[in-house]
Amino acid sequence: MLKMSTRTNLGRFVVLATVAVIASMLIACGPAEEAAVERDTLTIAIGAEPESLDPVRMTSAPAATVGEHVVERLIYMEEDGSLTPMLATSWESNEDSTVWTFDIREGVTFHDGAPLNAEAVATNLSRFVSPDVGAAYAFLLGSVQEIEAVDEYTLQLTLAQPFAPILSHLSHSFIGIVSPNQLEGLSPEQTFEIPVGTGPYVMDDWSRGDSISMSVNDDYWGSASQIPNLVFNFIPEESARIVALETGEADAIMGVPPADVERLQEDADIDVVFQTSVRTIYISYNNIQEPFTDPLVRRALNHAVDKQAIVDSIFEGVGFVADAPIPDAVFGHTSVGPYEYDPDLARELLDAAGYPDGFSMTLHHPTGRYPLDSTVAQSVQSMLADVGVDATLETREWTSYLQFTSQPPDQAEYDAFMLGWGTVTLDADYGLYALLHTRQWNPNGNNRGFYSNERVDQLLDAARVETDPAERAPMYNEAVELIWEDAPWIFLYNAGQINAVRSDVGGIIHHPLENLSAWDAYFE
Amino acid sequence: MYQYIARRLALTIPVVIGVSIIVFGIIRLIPGDPARAIAGVNATPQFIEQVRVRYALDQPVYIQYGNFVVNFMQGDLGNSVFSGRAVTTEIGERFPRTMLLATIALVIATIIGVSAGIVSATRRNSIFDNASMLVALVGVAAPVFWMALMLQLLFAVQLSVLPATGIGTIQHLILPSLTLGTASAALMARITRSSMLDVLRQDFITTARSKGLPERVIVYKHALKNALIPVVTVLGLQFGILLGGAVLTETVFAWPGVGRLLVDAILRRDYPVVQGTVMLLALLFVLINLVVDIIYAFLDPRIHYQSGSGE
Repeated sequence: MLKMSTRTNLGRFVVLATVAVIASMLIACGPAEEAAVERDTLTIAIGAEPESLDPVRMTSAPAATVGEHVVERLIYMEEDGSLTPMLATSWESNEDSTVWTFDIREGVTFHDGAPLNAEAVATNLSRFVSPDVGAAYAFLLGSVQEIEAVDEYTLQLTLAQPFAPILSHLSHSFIGIVSPNQLEGLSPEQTFEIPVGTGPYVMDDWSRGDSISMSVNDDYWGSASQIPNLVFNFIPEESARIVALETGEADAIMGVPPADVERLQEDADIDVVFQTSVRTIYISYNNIQEPFTDPLVRRALNHAVDKQAIVDSIFEGVGFVADAPIPDAVFGHTSVGPYEYDPDLARELLDAAGYPDGFSMTLHHPTGRYPLDSTVAQSVQSMLADVGVDATLETREWTSYLQFTSQPPDQAEYDAFMLGWGTVTLDADYGLYALLHTRQWNPNGNNRGFYSNERVDQLLDAARVETDPAERAPMYNEAVELIWEDAPWIFLYNAGQINAVRSDVGGIIHHPLENLSAWDAYFE
Repeated sequence: MYQYIARRLALTIPVVIGVSIIVFGIIRLIPGDPARAIAGVNATPQFIEQVRVRYALDQPVYIQYGNFVVNFMQGDLGNSVFSGRAVTTEIGERFPRTMLLATIALVIATIIGVSAGIVSATRRNSIFDNASMLVALVGVAAPVFWMALMLQLLFAVQLSVLPATGIGTIQHLILPSLTLGTASAALMARITRSSMLDVLRQDFITTARSKGLPERVIVYKHALKNALIPVVTVLGLQFGILLGGAVLTETVFAWPGVGRLLVDAILRRDYPVVQGTVMLLALLFVLINLVVDIIYAFLDPRIHYQSGSGE
């Protein structure tokens, strides 16, 4: 009997405890649904947190995406790459394009009430290029020698020599203009957390590791945004980000894995959005090392890789086979490819180059840096095997990978490596000069494959200083054709972006620069 | 007793120094150039050099370590190379959140684990016993990642009663703390059960039974008190593990605690943050161990600390 009662008591205890836990959960659950009904807040989930929103400390796409809503720059780059006025209403240059004059928009105030004028812009730009401040992207304005506020609303930039892409560079998200009050008394090392800009949203709070929240700027100079509150959530885990979208905790997410696209498309409440990006993924040869000194070999491997199959089967059709060393949204692009997938031709070329039985090589690739990068490397490996090229795959953790591929020519220990490059200014200079000009060989720059072509160098140099787009475009076109012919890389694909938005949200801009902008967003 | 505490405290010093050297050494043994990682892929060589100098990465390792120790003594853990903010600020913001998560997880684990363990022990080989031990086995073995996703899918996506990610309300706390607490609950159930069974077999229990004491008194007063000693040890260690082990849980649930700070910092090669966070967690672990040892003494009068062995 006694034993029985103990059992009953114990049993009761467990039951009670369980009930208590479940009950408290259910009680706690109540308000969650209520909160979801409120529709004055748009929530966007992104994978990574900005490192900073101080223009001189920004280095990543997430920082650009969040920052753009608060801080604006002189010129805005539209989705199609065209440049439109933002804080500058118009601009012109002198005869030889060394002095640029900008009319600053009148009647604009910063979120703290300070007026926007040429002086404020000059203060910002001077800080951006200051060597003491050491902004990572100061090189964007590397050609600028003097910054001067001529009068209240006129700004003048003097360049050391003509630099054609200066306007695209000024449109870069990192060259934002913040309130002069914010910069006053700031030492070169000092920074700030919450930027005070002129943008459509005012930043309220940064809950580190969790979210950034903003509210609409009622005094915005342009057309004011409709949604009162905007929140950026940082959810690093891909699957958790998708769950957040499915539950409605997030209204839009960036970076959907290709494998989840089909499932999300079946959900009537969710729209999957595909957008191009400006990121090219390529495999560069070590062009000064046998057998890659021979253009026949370099072309042969291009014919051996079925790029379309990679895009279709690994990326579910999201992305484009590269038809030039730069994506087609970039100024100066001309379609010269792709190299036809033709294993027989590849074998013939190898035969002609003196490698009838193929050869062995090492292919280095990062893992987890670009979507599905190691899967791509494996598929390239098997395609190369088809034409007799025995490629051994080697991977490294990202930072050591970068270091490994940055060695000077006499120390470079690689046959070929896979890498990506985002031409974020949408100008060929940013994509071609840095990666393929002889002066940019390791360790001076990012030409890690030691490609060199005198004519290409001449064209890239000339197009840097030629400011007439009608003259520049043919120069880049010729350079692109020569590079394609030389085949210093296995040209792979231009990565696509996959975002997803709840179907009752409209007006979100999915920018090719991997930004997601919500100032025109509305609830349906 | 005080002498014992003092000795135990003194013993923590070499442990802390050891940890600092290991943390400092390991992160620098990883191949790869931190300056390059900080500067980014598009960086110019000049900028990479600038970064190297700015963060004293151009100095020999022993000087970097010396700086680290001296600053650490002064409570300065340096600045994050990612955000540029003080590491102490970064940790200070995140730590209370992890503490909260770990505490709730521990409470859940204790309630579920100890009660399941007691019931299993007193109803040994019953269906409840076998079932709960099977669940406990699964609970210990189930990967945190999987558990987290299953809970998200069930409670957030299917039933939509709980938020899947983020912080802010009590609801946000439930799934992560359940996830985090499950493995501990399972472990505690198993330890409570075996410890309880062990005690219930001892002579003094037989004596108590023969005196005709009610079973309730025997189980809760006589047996449980003794059976809980190993449970307390595990409890203490589990708390340390939960604090450090929140890494995966925090990542899946986007819970902005120390664990996620650590993971992000490792991926970004943010040396100062990694050092600071690991040092903090190690210190806590050492401290919790110390506290557990002291509680031990109160729970079990047989344990005397006069002898060097501590038993």
